[in-house]
Amino acid sequence: MKESKAPAVGRTPFQKWLDKYQGLFYLIPWIIGFVVFKAVPFGQSLYYSFTDMNFFAKDVHFVGLANYITAFTTTKITKALIITFKYAFITVPLKLIFALFIAYILNFKIACVNLFRTVYYIPSILGGSVAIAVLWKAVFSKDGLLNTVLRFVSFGLFKGPEWLSDPSYALWIICFLRIWQFGSAMVLFLAALKGVPADLYEAATIDGAGKWRQFFSITVPMITPIIFYNLVTQICQAFQEFNGPYIITNGGPRGSTTLISLLVYNYAFKSYDMGMASALAWIMFIIVCILTIIAFTSQKKWVYYSDER
Amino acid sequence: MSMAISRRNFLLATGAVGAAGLLSACGGNTAASSTASSVASAPAASADDSLALTDGPVSMTISWWGGDSRHAAYQNAIKEFESEHDNITIEPTFAAWSGWEEKMAAAFIAGNAQDVCQVNWNWLYNYSADGSKFVDLNTTTNFLDLTQFDQAALDACTVANAQQCVPVSMTGRIFFWNMTTFNKAGITEVPKTLDDLKAAGKAFQEKLGNDYYPMHLGAYDRMILMVFYLESKYGKDWADPITSTLNYSEDEIVEGLNFIKSLVDDHVMMNLKDYYSANSDTATHQSNEWITGKIAGIFEWDSAASKYASALDDDNKDGFTVGEEIKFGDFNGGFSKVSMGLAITKTSQYVAESATLINFLLNEEKGASIMGSECGIPASKAGLAAAQAAGAVKDLVADANSKVMAFTTNKLDPLFENNDLKASGTGIYQEVFDSIDYGDETPESAVSALLEGMEDVGYTIG
Repeated sequence: MKESKAPAVGRTPFQKWLDKYQGLFYLIPWIIGFVVFKAVPFGQSLYYSFTDMNFFAKDVHFVGLANYITAFTTTKITKALIITFKYAFITVPLKLIFALFIAYILNFKIACVNLFRTVYYIPSILGGSVAIAVLWKAVFSKDGLLNTVLRFVSFGLFKGPEWLSDPSYALWIICFLRIWQFGSAMVLFLAALKGVPADLYEAATIDGAGKWRQFFSITVPMITPIIFYNLVTQICQAFQEFNGPYIITNGGPRGSTTLISLLVYNYAFKSYDMGMASALAWIMFIIVCILTIIAFTSQKKWVYYSDER
Repeated sequence: MSMAISRRNFLLATGAVGAAGLLSACGGNTAASSTASSVASAPAASADDSLALTDGPVSMTISWWGGDSRHAAYQNAIKEFESEHDNITIEPTFAAWSGWEEKMAAAFIAGNAQDVCQVNWNWLYNYSADGSKFVDLNTTTNFLDLTQFDQAALDACTVANAQQCVPVSMTGRIFFWNMTTFNKAGITEVPKTLDDLKAAGKAFQEKLGNDYYPMHLGAYDRMILMVFYLESKYGKDWADPITSTLNYSEDEIVEGLNFIKSLVDDHVMMNLKDYYSANSDTATHQSNEWITGKIAGIFEWDSAASKYASALDDDNKDGFTVGEEIKFGDFNGGFSKVSMGLAITKTSQYVAESATLINFLLNEEKGASIMGSECGIPASKAGLAAAQAAGAVKDLVADANSKVMAFTTNKLDPLFENNDLKASGTGIYQEVFDSIDYGDETPESAVSALLEGMEDVGYTIG
């Protein structure tokens, strides 16, 4: 730790010691929280993943890789893994594109822009709640808002799909909820767009570049760090998604919205099989780590930082 | 000033972004308990004379699940108890059932559950099979009068040779009908036979349309009706109530699954896929179809009568009727079980006070008359008499309960309600009945999934 630059003349040894280490004291609450609520459970879950630990069983036995082998040989779990990948690969790009699109529009000087920014951010505040579950069921039920609109615009010829009960549609309902909650990513994009130097656009305009050319040749490259940040955080969040499928479909129909996080919850808090739940959590952690490493490795090829030449 | 982003600042800001949160939820404490031993085989413990009420201030806790009216009843009874025992204050914890078991399981594991807990019957087996979580109430008989309860009901709450809870009420399944809709379909009497049910299905379809059904059952309810049907047909318990050895052959279970399928095919019950398309996993009494009378019947716990009746809209409310148990074969099918119990946790510092509170709620005139039938028809003889004298027993619940108790003869095994089997969304019962209604499986092919799932939770399959 760097020493404080406060004048050392006339200071007692205690004051000097304090100068040197007081920063650490400020960090203690965070460190305690991190150790108690993150590091210890993190280590415990790794240990549990190699055991048959059950909350209500007396003995805990070391089972080696058995939980991991079971995870990759049980249809229910492999299906949930595939669904989780599908969910992430659908929601992450669509959410980023949508957030950037709306942020780009809201970056123009248009009337009531602050109102629009607030309105678009509201879905992110709502998160996964009972109200959202009720809303989603009202929109996507057989005779819900969406199918009513579809029937109206098709003059009654098209009844609309059974969104909530058809396994091929249900995942899209959950995906749509996540994409709809694009506010946080949008705010970051908006901040990044405002940081793009105006003189670049002026120069491009003088050179005859149109709006699209300016967007792809100036805007996008200049905000790639934020695109990258949003990409990494959205990947992490997508693989950890729990609320949407839990409150709207409870993993159904026919397991079509059972993401791996739902299985972790079920194993841990319905079957009390902490060994299996921990193994699944670690599998997800490793997958997210790999994807994050790929993202970090690839950034050399497409992310532009202003301090690099 | 340029606000473009430098790599250093970016990495500083994002350094910790990762998936650590995914893992931190899986840590916890190792719990101590063990596998089931079951009903008492050793002499019951006698009263512990060392237990005594404390003279000084006592602050104790109680928890329960339920609806608003139950919350109000408990709170009023607690207030009355506190006024009688002015050195005792009671802090209640309560909520609806959804998510309650997970919350309480975590509390049992952590050792911070309330002094007095309202418990589900199978919790004794799931969470205290070795008697490690709940006090043996035989030791509290100086404060809690166990003679007010039938021995059979007490035995059902005896696990690991310990009276781990005292039964609050007994319950079983019975049909409830919305006769307003039945009348619209030209039916004036509640169904009493399988033929009546099937005739109702036909009448509903022909006179009211495809959206109207005589009843709807979720997956777990279907399983209970299937067992009811098989017990009615073959006259034996679904499984041995002590050893959980399944008493039915694969062919017999296929017959049961085919029975349920026939009810769907004959428009007696709504196909699960159709139900999900309108309601996802919303409970039946909260569905638009039930509220408006399009679904006109259920097969539910007798204690659920008020919940379903009060959910109906004004046009249908008056038509809510307690049905008759239906005999599908030569025997009376169905089982009764302890609906819920009150237990004292072993971590309680106030066992004598807790026992006194339970006695007040279930046996004493003041407490029992306030509690009424909010937790079902009281299993305590003194409690029932007090509640009836006070007019606190709801006619609907009493009617349903008396019919169930008069009809059912079979016993339930504790594994039947195992979470891996009955859980909404992921349970085996749901998997089996969903797969049939979605057309992915036939009863003949689905039975193996049911048997495998049952074996996984500990059933002995013959």
